[in-house]
Amino acid sequence: MPEPIVEAVDVAKVYQLGKTEVQALRHVDLVVERGEFLSIAGPSGSGKTTLLNLIGGVDVPTAGTVRVDGEDTSRLTERALTRLRLDHIGFIFQTFNLVAVLTVFQNVEFPLLLQGRMTSAERRRRVETLLESVGLAGHARHRPSELSGGQRQRVAVARALVGNPPLVLADEPTANLDSKTGGTIIDLMREMNRRDGTTFIFSTHDPKVMSHASAIVRLEDGRVIGRESAQGAEAR
Amino acid sequence: MIATDLFIAARNLARHTRRNLLLAAAISGVTALLVLLTGLTSGMREAMLHSATTLMTGHVNLAGFFKITSGTAAPIVADWEKPWEAVKDKVPELVYAAPRGRGWAKAVADGGSMDLVLAGIDLSREPGFDKVIQVVEGSLAELGKPGTILLFQDQARRLGVKPGDTLTLSAPTTRGASNTADVRVAAVARNIGLLSAFNAFIPAETLRQLYQLKVGTTGAVQLYLADPADSAKVAARLRAALREAGWRVMDPDPEPYWQKLMFKVNAEDWTGQKLDVTTWEDEMSFLSWIVTAVTWLGNVLVGVLLVIVAVGIVNTLAIAIRERTREIGTLRAIGMQRTQVLRLTLLEAFLLGLGGAAMGAAAGAAIAAGLNATGIELPETMQYFLLQRDLHLALHAGRVALAVAFVTGLTTVAAIWPSVWAARMRPVTAMHHVG
Repeated sequence: MPEPIVEAVDVAKVYQLGKTEVQALRHVDLVVERGEFLSIAGPSGSGKTTLLNLIGGVDVPTAGTVRVDGEDTSRLTERALTRLRLDHIGFIFQTFNLVAVLTVFQNVEFPLLLQGRMTSAERRRRVETLLESVGLAGHARHRPSELSGGQRQRVAVARALVGNPPLVLADEPTANLDSKTGGTIIDLMREMNRRDGTTFIFSTHDPKVMSHASAIVRLEDGRVIGRESAQGAEAR
Repeated sequence: MIATDLFIAARNLARHTRRNLLLAAAISGVTALLVLLTGLTSGMREAMLHSATTLMTGHVNLAGFFKITSGTAAPIVADWEKPWEAVKDKVPELVYAAPRGRGWAKAVADGGSMDLVLAGIDLSREPGFDKVIQVVEGSLAELGKPGTILLFQDQARRLGVKPGDTLTLSAPTTRGASNTADVRVAAVARNIGLLSAFNAFIPAETLRQLYQLKVGTTGAVQLYLADPADSAKVAARLRAALREAGWRVMDPDPEPYWQKLMFKVNAEDWTGQKLDVTTWEDEMSFLSWIVTAVTWLGNVLVGVLLVIVAVGIVNTLAIAIRERTREIGTLRAIGMQRTQVLRLTLLEAFLLGLGGAAMGAAAGAAIAAGLNATGIELPETMQYFLLQRDLHLALHAGRVALAVAFVTGLTTVAAIWPSVWAARMRPVTAMHHVG
């Protein structure tokens, strides 16, 4: 039985806003198996982004443990945590977050340069393959400002997948796109999930987007209130 | 990776063209000033070497003092050929050597009088002399005749004489009596900065007669080397060789001979001949304060400007980093280490510094070349202090490169604080930054 890709146990996250403590997450338990296409759903302020941040290792929990690909994120040094993000996790952001001064090709290539494992020729092949698979083969030399929102998010998908991470996290990846383009992006992510077995965890509050998920975890006020598989709900 | 970092850094600089161009212009201006000031002080140093080694000293001098009694010293080397013959094989760097008489006298003419430092010269032994001295009136060849004198323009003006006129030199001999000699002005030469204000040349034979010295006595054997930078090395070698040959040699003392004569040698308890080997830098040490002062003034000015530029760099980078907080957060999230963020932002400052400094150095070099080509004659007071008649900025590729490296380095150092700030951003905070 393979180890789950993500395992969160009794996770809490408290933010200090001035003198006020904000309980962003409380007593969250979550297991994500490899190859899942999981949606985290919930209204604004329910803790979706916070949970993704903790899973993605860009933040650490106040209490509890988050294990990603077997690594307890709160026990890792800053350097090791950064390396975990680089090698094991791909990120897709709501606002695309591409580097404005780099071309499409360079944006996608960037994680490979950070990894430093591939030769220039290998990187070129890998980036070209991915750009082709997201339908942007002809846009390699464009800059993000020359692309539509949907195209930019495709670049972000390619960048997230280029290092072959076992896990991709997408924070409201369709929120800034029209429904048709958003649907295309979700289809693209689903296709990558099926083809390569990459685990996807994405947050959304759009029921249409949720419908593509193999499972949905619902959050409310920082708590997990239920988990539904594609076949039906599993109340917790 | 470094290529991508360079690319990102360059593109980021290009993103805010106006802001960065202004900063680059400031860096450029300071570098240009630094290059010009370096050129000025180098020019002064070179002018000092150039004029001093004609007017007052060789690159190395085999000189000395002779004391009849312990309280009466004269700056002479008796039978100079003997010590010179004993050591001349030890100087393979030698281009030529020439004996020079040393003395001072009061010059009295119909139009006025003044004190002069006299050099007793044998023109036939000094092939470098006519390359430096520019005769404006009269003939240099006339100086080969006994009973003549070469004056500089200011001296001739002050004494009210011209070539062919006669003036009287009055000097104390080594035995304490006064002696006079009438000399005819052979030539008037163009001024060479401060040094030409008080130096004048008479034939060596005339100087000996004035001081009632024997043939074979001189003030110093002036050695001219292929490379003046070898002076200290050659001087040390000569001291050792002279001692080995049995001569009494004074310890190295970086002061001109006349200061030693006035303040030291007469107070020492010895008689007879002592040799003193000096370098041109020793003989000119009384003027080195001018170069030092100009260098320090320049450094203070450049330093103040650099501090202003450094503050500008810190400010500009801080703004740039604040504007790119989300981008930095994203890069950190996707796996960029803190050290890589630090490197990236430092690289931006480095490129900005290098670009600005290179432009400034080019501009400074162009201005210096233009000024040199124009041949600007300095006002008289400045001629004294800058030790040159026409403004000459000496540019050396190595020093210009050093100025560029220094300003670029400082720019990069100034960027450390904002760069560390950028590197320490937590990705989760940076990604959600709104600004």
